[in-house]
Amino acid sequence: MLLDFDKLGVLRGFLVGLTMLVCLFLILPIVFIAALSFGSSQWLIFPPPSWTFKWYEELFADSRWFYSALTSLKIAAIVTVFSVIIGFLAALGLNRGRFLGRDILRALFLTPMILPVVVLAVALYAVFLRLGLAGTTFAFVIAHLLIALPFSIISIGNALEGFDRSIEDAAILCGANPWEARLRVTVPAISHGIFGAAVFSFLASWDEVVLAIFMASPTLQTLPVKIWSTLRQDLTPVIAAASTLLIAFTILLMVLAALFRKGKKS
Amino acid sequence: MAMTATAEGMRRKRAFVGARGGSFGYLLPALVLVVIFFIVPVLMLLMRSVLEPEPGLQNYKALLGSTTYLRIFLNTFLVAGVVTIISIVIGYPVAWLLAIMPEKWSRLVLAIIILSMWTNLLTRTYAWMVLLQRTGVINKTLMGLGLIDQPLPLVNNLVGVTIGMTYIMLPFVILPLMGVIRAIDPAILRAAALCGATSMQCFTRVLLPLSLPGIAAGALMVFVMSLGYFVTPALLGGTSNMMLAELVAQFVQSLVNWGMGGAAAFVLLVVTLTLYAVQLRYFNPNKAR
Repeated sequence: MLLDFDKLGVLRGFLVGLTMLVCLFLILPIVFIAALSFGSSQWLIFPPPSWTFKWYEELFADSRWFYSALTSLKIAAIVTVFSVIIGFLAALGLNRGRFLGRDILRALFLTPMILPVVVLAVALYAVFLRLGLAGTTFAFVIAHLLIALPFSIISIGNALEGFDRSIEDAAILCGANPWEARLRVTVPAISHGIFGAAVFSFLASWDEVVLAIFMASPTLQTLPVKIWSTLRQDLTPVIAAASTLLIAFTILLMVLAALFRKGKKS
Repeated sequence: MAMTATAEGMRRKRAFVGARGGSFGYLLPALVLVVIFFIVPVLMLLMRSVLEPEPGLQNYKALLGSTTYLRIFLNTFLVAGVVTIISIVIGYPVAWLLAIMPEKWSRLVLAIIILSMWTNLLTRTYAWMVLLQRTGVINKTLMGLGLIDQPLPLVNNLVGVTIGMTYIMLPFVILPLMGVIRAIDPAILRAAALCGATSMQCFTRVLLPLSLPGIAAGALMVFVMSLGYFVTPALLGGTSNMMLAELVAQFVQSLVNWGMGGAAAFVLLVVTLTLYAVQLRYFNPNKAR
């Protein structure tokens, strides 16, 4: 019985063992980085000779790290807002519209997600250079919006699929104008899709490296660009400290998402 | 009767709004964004590949005619292929167990998978750079166990790239495959067992064929994603083991050769879109055939 956990027989030991190994493979690098960020060894020797906070002190002493994190946060926030609004409208149009070429349009909107991002980065870089916009916040936001938008369209589109439109119609029949009905009936009903769209859009921008490398200027860097340029020089434990903070942030996001899902169920 | 009348009215109102282009209007902001900042820039880049430095196909000739560049193509396909195979071979059993194990355990495993997937890409790559270096934990452990005398060269080569990329791609294989295996009716396997099939036969003749469409779709997705990867190969591969995405970036950033950069980008684009079209045509999970 291959699809019954209790009757797997010898196979169960094999599958459980392999899965445990894969879990170790997936989690150990993250644990190591967190541990090494408190280690005193400049060369990241494990186990570290002693424990220290000096890499965190160095991280916080260098204001460039702080400003790049602030830049990342600002760009990701702007991208999230636009991605959710434009994505909501597009998902609504794709969901409600009955016109020729709807599937082609949907595929077109999702292409930036599938395309090798380096192609998009190089193409946008050329255009922004020509327009004199290279290295501006505008360029960053546009670039990240392109890859965040597909996540919004998918997430909100899925939520709209599961939403019974006659509820919105009922609100309109009761005297609400169409936009009032959409904002006060449809939007709350698909809030989980909008929340998902916001989280994924934020992460898409916050974590993005390749577009950011091309859009950055010496005065405008996001956190990934700062890590990237530091990494190209050496493997300093300061990056381990920065990484550990990012991992903590990821765990916080996961907990928030889990709580949200739980709240939705009950 | 009244209900039908209002429903009819609603439909008319919708048709009216539709005729004014209501629902198409919603698509306009996204369409403007995608056309101006995606379609047009990519087309312009492709134009440059046949126009610079002078009109003609010399960029493509140079790209496909030189052994240096052919090596890069070979590296790219080799790494993408190996990463795909390893991910599927390791990922399938994990997805299988996840699909059937008690929920309290599967939740823990899923949390680990999602944590690794959501962790910043540079953080994960940095972790592997540290782990795989000559004095890194892996070499030290292997030497401590007496398995090797000299540190193995695990980084700045394609081995490092393959390990780092497999780490990144595994979740993308496990999660969809878990869904595919969950959707298989256990009764089919029970029937096979009742009819006298051995465990091996159940696997090779029932479970594996039933999950094959999912495996093919996952493999194709990982392969396509790996082909265009930039960050991990650049950091773990070193300068002498370039992959295609790095070549595109290098032409534009260091060499400022937009003609060659455009040509390399176009090759990458064509390969990706072709495989994507194959995926949509043959392995689309949304289209039950």
